[in-house]
Amino acid sequence: MRHLPLRRLAWLLFAAFLVLFPSLFREIRVHIATEVLTYALFAVSFNLLFGYTGLLPFGHAGFFGLGAYAAALIISHIHGMPVLVTLLVGALAGFVAAIIIGSVCVRLSGAYFALISLSFQMFLFAVAYEWRSVTNGDDGMSFVRPDLYLPLLGKISLQNFNNLYYLTLVLASMGIIGCYFVLKTPLGNAMVCVREKDVRASFLGYNVFLVKLTAFAISGLMAGLAGGLFAIYQEVVATTCIDNNMSMIPVLMVVIGGPSHFLGPVLGAAFYVVLQDWISSMTGYWMIIMGAIFVLIILYLQGGLASLFTSSRVWRGGE
Amino acid sequence: MRTILKVDHLFKDFSGLEVLAGVSIEIREGERHAVIGPNGSGKTTLFNIITGLYRPSHGRIYFFDKDISGWPAHRIARTGISRSFQVINVFPKMTVYENVRSAVVSKFNRRFNWVSLLDRDKPIEEETFRIIELLSLTDVSDVPAFELSYGKQRHLELALTMSREPVLIMLDEPTAGLNSEETKGAIQLIRRLTEGKTLLLVEHDMDVVFNLADRVTVLGYGTILATGTPDEIQAHEEVKKAYLGRK
Amino acid sequence: MGLGIESYIVQMVHGLVYGMLLFLVASGLTLVFGMMGVLNMAHASFYMLGAYLAYTITGHLGSFWLSLLICPILVGLLGIFIERFLLRKAYKGGHISQLLLTFGLFFIFGESVRLVWGGAPLSVASPVILAGDIHVAGMTYPVYRLFILAFSFLVLIGMVLLLTKTRIGIIIRAAVTDADMVGVLGSNVPVVLMAVFGAGAALAAMAGVIAAPFSSMYPGMGADALLDCFVVIVLGGFGSLYGAFLGSLMIGELQSFGVLWIPRLALVFQFLLMAAVLIWRPTGLFGEKE
Repeated sequence: MRHLPLRRLAWLLFAAFLVLFPSLFREIRVHIATEVLTYALFAVSFNLLFGYTGLLPFGHAGFFGLGAYAAALIISHIHGMPVLVTLLVGALAGFVAAIIIGSVCVRLSGAYFALISLSFQMFLFAVAYEWRSVTNGDDGMSFVRPDLYLPLLGKISLQNFNNLYYLTLVLASMGIIGCYFVLKTPLGNAMVCVREKDVRASFLGYNVFLVKLTAFAISGLMAGLAGGLFAIYQEVVATTCIDNNMSMIPVLMVVIGGPSHFLGPVLGAAFYVVLQDWISSMTGYWMIIMGAIFVLIILYLQGGLASLFTSSRVWRGGE
Repeated sequence: MRTILKVDHLFKDFSGLEVLAGVSIEIREGERHAVIGPNGSGKTTLFNIITGLYRPSHGRIYFFDKDISGWPAHRIARTGISRSFQVINVFPKMTVYENVRSAVVSKFNRRFNWVSLLDRDKPIEEETFRIIELLSLTDVSDVPAFELSYGKQRHLELALTMSREPVLIMLDEPTAGLNSEETKGAIQLIRRLTEGKTLLLVEHDMDVVFNLADRVTVLGYGTILATGTPDEIQAHEEVKKAYLGRK
Repeated sequence: MGLGIESYIVQMVHGLVYGMLLFLVASGLTLVFGMMGVLNMAHASFYMLGAYLAYTITGHLGSFWLSLLICPILVGLLGIFIERFLLRKAYKGGHISQLLLTFGLFFIFGESVRLVWGGAPLSVASPVILAGDIHVAGMTYPVYRLFILAFSFLVLIGMVLLLTKTRIGIIIRAAVTDADMVGVLGSNVPVVLMAVFGAGAALAAMAGVIAAPFSSMYPGMGADALLDCFVVIVLGGFGSLYGAFLGSLMIGELQSFGVLWIPRLALVFQFLLMAAVLIWRPTGLFGEKE
């Protein structure tokens, strides 16, 4: 498949735009961009399961929240821990939890899978809510963003919001690009096979359970990373990071953005955050409008917003 | 000639409904063996148990003297047994190329490879095209499977079955839904593809059976009514009573 | 609260009350899943709407009994509308599309309620006749809760009679087992689906109305009830009314005693129970083995 030079150019321009963003826009917009990047990673991790492997989890906030709480706990209790290590631990928390929880969940599918994923997230929520001595319950933990130390650049204060933006940009992009490439490997192909016809896949020699578990684990890893980034951005982590509402957010973003295109979730995340910011300043109705858009897209535009931009009408995944 | 597959007193019941009641068959290496029988006699269930979709309630299955009873489907698939489906079971939204490639990836044991780009893999690409040509699918290799004509879909179904170069090929009604022209072509194709291999075939179409099979086993109500050459079966009283004469 | 037998009985009756309410809500959910294969995420929103509408109607018209009459009808019509014009449209996208659609509706209803009635908890006074406590065998018990129990049992009996003695009931039961077959036999399946969906919504709303004086209303009550319903139908088996009944009672008692004995773990335990059942007996503790 040959890439047109035009495509490459478009991507280059887009990357330049992202890098130059803080110089082009006011700080409030940079805040929004940071949020979009974090949620985009979360949504992409969700779509790894939904769009590509065909599993719909209603409890994905469990891994996001674990990443957030891991980061918050480390920042609050272990002074001097490098930021990157903190985020790595958050990601690993999501990864390990996903392996454990996934080994149970992926034995089911459809509504059953959605519900059991939800029940595990509710369990994690209940733990976060009740274990006040560690998590401070629904009041949450607040902390100050630690400084980032890099080999050549020295100390980078994350209180400077542009620096936080760049950190998020780099890490979220790495996560998203990582997902993109994994989906282009035989493993990614296996995930799509499992989505399409899992019985046929197993007759071809694919261990469907392991494929689903692997997808689940990678998804948990990325969600944990997103959660850690979210924690650092918010400077506070409460049960809202791990509740039903947070589980709903990637669902909204991915369906609105479009699950059949790799960048659909990213588009959905941008749409969600921007719309929320724009409309909530005008009216308290923004959630209803979001819900209405969600419903309309399910009824009339199953491919999501992404399908407006791409001619591919076939749900291929991996484009 | 040695026995490649041995089914030993196989029983299967689904919540009280007994579908297979003591089936024993021996498939010889290199033969083309057809299983026929009226609807509901358990043919597809037999296939499903041999290939690992269901577990036997009682009885054992041996492949080259190895006990494979109760093995999961993916493990059995990796030992050299492949099957096709009566109802087309391909990956609908993938193109023909992507469908076959998925099977080739499995053959090369690269299923969990998460570091190399699939599109850039030359050996897999070449092998995929080889199989596509073998099954006369070259002209539609970029077409999504759900858009193919029924005849081409059947070819793709066969392609997926053949991709792993199985030793035992199990075809479940491969000519279902084909007209007589297409059926003739299918018979030729199947004969060509199974040259030197072992074929186990479920069929309703007697022309196909008489054209292809070395031996025939007749299944009725979950048990074996008779086994023998097509001619022997044709003359068999019980079989005639139960079934023969219908297409 | 003493540890005497009386307090156990009181707790048990509490559990029964909540269990019956839960059953009224969960019954529609499980029937719809059995018939359509769709888990209606918005179902408990009907419960919530029933309660909030009762608040408004009782407030305006002054009569709780009128609410009990009107609210289920209104919500039932809403249910019919949703099935006919929204769910059916999403049908071609498959079960997942329909599931997501109901999810979107759940979201919208939750926010709408917050918008119209505000986020603060509201309450409705119980009708004067049913206020106060009753004293029996040395135990004191609120009359209203006994009313809930009695009313729910009446509705249950009505449901059982409808499903076993009437033609429409038999069709419904058949459709839960095999919707295609019922269509082949000549019954108008789409109409039956619509009716069941609407009736389930009405039942849930009815539960909301009678629950209103008993517990306060808040925008999150739909979500909480939904989660309880999920646990119930997982325990009882998707599609099984009998299972939903037993499951509801189980959860009712579990919450009643759980809140007493292990308040902080009750919620956790409930979800681990659901997870356990989903793993080992996905067809439910009381459902049929698939």
